[in-house]
Amino acid sequence: MNPRIKIMLNDVFQKKHHACRQQIGPSVLRDFTISLKEQKLPDILRAQKRLTWVLEREVPVILPGEKIVLMRTVPRIPQIFTEEEWAGIKKGHYIHELGRICNISSNYRYTIEVGLEQRRREILESIEIHSAQGDEQGVVFLQAVLHAIDDVENLADRYAESALKSGRDDIFLLLKKIPRQGATTFHEALQFFRILHFTLWASGNYHNTIGRFDQYMFKYLKNDLDSGVLDDDTAFELLEEFFISFNKDSDLYPGIQQGDNGQSMVLGGVDEDGNDAFNLLSEMCLKASLELKLIDPKINLRVTKHTPIEVYDLGSELTKQGLGFPQYSNDEIVIPGLLSKGYDLKDARDYVVAACWEFIIPGYGMDIPNITALSFAKVVDVAIKKHLETAKDFNFFMKGLKEEMKKELETMISGLKDVYAEPAAFQSLLMNGCVEKARDISVSGKYNNYGIHGTGISTAVDSLAAVKKYVFEEKSVTAEELIHAVRSNFEEADHFRNKLRYDAPKMGNDDDFADDIAVELLDIFPELTGALRNERGGVFRPGSGSAMYYWWHVKDLDASADGRKKGEPLSANFSPSLNVKVKGPLSVIRSFSKPDMKKIMNGGPLTLELPDTVFRNPENIRKVSYLVKSYMDMGGHQLQINAVNREQLIHAKNHPEQYKNLIVRVWGWSGYFTELDEVYQDHIIQRVELSI
Amino acid sequence: MRGIIFNIEEFAVHDGPGIRKLVFFKGCPLRCTWCHNPEGISFRKELMVSYAACTGCGRCKEVCPNEHCTACGKCVEICPQRLRKICGQEFEAEDLACELLKGKEILLDSGGGITISGGEPLAQPAFLFDLIDRLKPLNVAVETSGYASPDVFQRMVSMTGLVLMDIKHTDPAMHKRFTGVDNRLILENLEFLCRSDTDFCIRIPLIPGVNDTRENMEETVLLIRNARCLKRVELLPYHQTAGAKYPMVGRRFEPGFDLNKKVNIRRDVFEKNHIQVSVL
Repeated sequence: MNPRIKIMLNDVFQKKHHACRQQIGPSVLRDFTISLKEQKLPDILRAQKRLTWVLEREVPVILPGEKIVLMRTVPRIPQIFTEEEWAGIKKGHYIHELGRICNISSNYRYTIEVGLEQRRREILESIEIHSAQGDEQGVVFLQAVLHAIDDVENLADRYAESALKSGRDDIFLLLKKIPRQGATTFHEALQFFRILHFTLWASGNYHNTIGRFDQYMFKYLKNDLDSGVLDDDTAFELLEEFFISFNKDSDLYPGIQQGDNGQSMVLGGVDEDGNDAFNLLSEMCLKASLELKLIDPKINLRVTKHTPIEVYDLGSELTKQGLGFPQYSNDEIVIPGLLSKGYDLKDARDYVVAACWEFIIPGYGMDIPNITALSFAKVVDVAIKKHLETAKDFNFFMKGLKEEMKKELETMISGLKDVYAEPAAFQSLLMNGCVEKARDISVSGKYNNYGIHGTGISTAVDSLAAVKKYVFEEKSVTAEELIHAVRSNFEEADHFRNKLRYDAPKMGNDDDFADDIAVELLDIFPELTGALRNERGGVFRPGSGSAMYYWWHVKDLDASADGRKKGEPLSANFSPSLNVKVKGPLSVIRSFSKPDMKKIMNGGPLTLELPDTVFRNPENIRKVSYLVKSYMDMGGHQLQINAVNREQLIHAKNHPEQYKNLIVRVWGWSGYFTELDEVYQDHIIQRVELSI
Repeated sequence: MRGIIFNIEEFAVHDGPGIRKLVFFKGCPLRCTWCHNPEGISFRKELMVSYAACTGCGRCKEVCPNEHCTACGKCVEICPQRLRKICGQEFEAEDLACELLKGKEILLDSGGGITISGGEPLAQPAFLFDLIDRLKPLNVAVETSGYASPDVFQRMVSMTGLVLMDIKHTDPAMHKRFTGVDNRLILENLEFLCRSDTDFCIRIPLIPGVNDTRENMEETVLLIRNARCLKRVELLPYHQTAGAKYPMVGRRFEPGFDLNKKVNIRRDVFEKNHIQVSVL
């Protein structure tokens, strides 16, 4: 690592730059919100004024030696509605998370290429057209976008002035060109990205993903290398500095837990013609992440059946660092999955992952891929209590289960009415078609589908396997006894619970008895969601991710027929149950590739834990690569491996002060272990204990 | 043919090339004092208990019908945390092969296969040969102490793609003292292996103060330096956790050497003789 980067990295770890942050009291934020209310402004103008408020308050800070500038000094962003107003809005609308645009992927490519002045011209043209049509609302929106451009240019100008004063002519010249004009060099393009991404966060939008960085940035890198503006070392140094920039303000970004910030970067995969597009920049990104060991950006690697094993090796090397990434996704499965839900081929081939794992389309997708989650465990629980006593055989019982799943899905989606999100003028600028149509992205995009996570799939499969085996085949327990045991949390039934928990067939052991049930369950889910439409004309996308629902969904749930006691968590993501010790990773990847994952197209990775000792030498790194490749060859959709050391985690839990930089994968993202709540720390330790 | 094993590990990365499944035969004629798989010593099924998480609820005692453990398994079923298990599973070679061949594509694609370890695989020769026959087309490796009759050893060598053979000590007296058996048979078999056309690796568990001397390493080199198909020497430094499983099978860990002494890793002795060496 270059010494300049080493210092910069250390400074970010030490959080030195936090000293530049302004103190902004809650009353200042509140007063701003109240002033918006008093001016009786419509929401689009409120959102626009908020961005102006934030960017005007920003004080340029150029850290010593920094070549890519912009960092937050305004630590908090005001609301645009008072609490009362927000409560009123909530009454009439479904609000997803914070009610702001999030978890989508911008088209950075175009704006970086043409510059903001060109975008301004496009907006002015559109204003002419839409005012001629009498589209007042459209014109208001377009003017808000123009304002956002003004705000960004003003900030860039102030940074430029500050650079000039402090003798940083290089930064001055850089910012006098971009963002007004398009980028020509790699450096300009990186700085341009930083400005756009920074502004998204400053707008209050969050889970602002990075997308296919190696694709849209490659031409700048290549030009510079070809023309000699950069050499391999200087290019790599710039890239590393760019990576560090993602970690400067990330503690300010909203998320469930520290680290859950959605800065996911996607590398590799096919281009729009279907050819493998892994390039020099993809490789450099993997190497930069390997060297820096930072949680941002979060690396995703798209693979195809043609991906050479050497590329997997780069991934395995990165896995070895224990960051919990790369997360792999398989183009051979994901792209057909997207096509089956109506995505155009060109768009499907351009897929990226949202904050965690959901497959979305940059520039076009206004999908809400995590709008809700189906609790498979709950569906099984309801079905057992309602249908088990009357079912004459297992197939008959599964028909009852299907009815219950249908009802549950219908109830879930019936609440998703009048979805409202705050308008997002600047975000709209980076989404295709918003300027031409004069419509904010919060209204709709090209794709407006909703994703449904699937929680506790293994818990459900294991429970059904126990039902099939003991109630229907062995007939060693009656339906009534089973229901009683589950309702009473196995009170006085330890022996029976042990049998369910330890002796019954389990998903993850390459046992067709359990796995066939998984196949059936994961056929029913997409079949039922296939018939559903949302209010925006979009479809529902079934997925295998759990996010934090594996924990949330147990709250109102009884014990389950897999021997899980009440209150114990469900299986996380697409993985074996937390309390099951499986035979090994080969059985796991075989079990979890049996369902048709093309149909479970929202995403949600299989998570594997491997001891860190596996990664000791290059020979073994190659073996891990083959393990990953095998899962993909067998039809797996998405995979993520944790390299773990149990003793270290336990020690870290008790001595957090010694493990400030210990990074672990949580559900769809990596975070610092010691910053997690205890319940998540414990689950991670439990997962490791059961790993092989 | 029927035999007994005590474990199957699915993603063994230290025991031969590629992704391998590792099957452990149960039972061993040696008594190496540093053995870290004490459950592999007895040829019988036995009760194995993980005491660390035991809350002492006492249900295991309530259900036990015997004065001395017969590995009947009654206490296994009742333990609420399933901290008990019967170690040792009997298999027909045919069924075991079927289990091992599951997912064979993964093993083949990665240039891996099956490694048969133990215990001592050569101590169940008929079962071993029957099993190897049924594992085609996979590459089979056998990990052995070399302590077996020459005809058994030679037949094994002719049937496998890779032999991983231990040389624990070159000195007969030291060998006897720390492993319980004489090394004459082992060295005789090693001689055969060195002359054979079968690929092999030599494994040396490095035990501080017992066999990690320069002299022993040099003697070892003399035995193998003219071998036709020696791939490499693998040094396995003793590590502190070896004693962990003894109480679980009701044995006492009596290593007879200083556990805290630093292990000498003498790569140079092998490198000097142009023998590839790696530390696992």
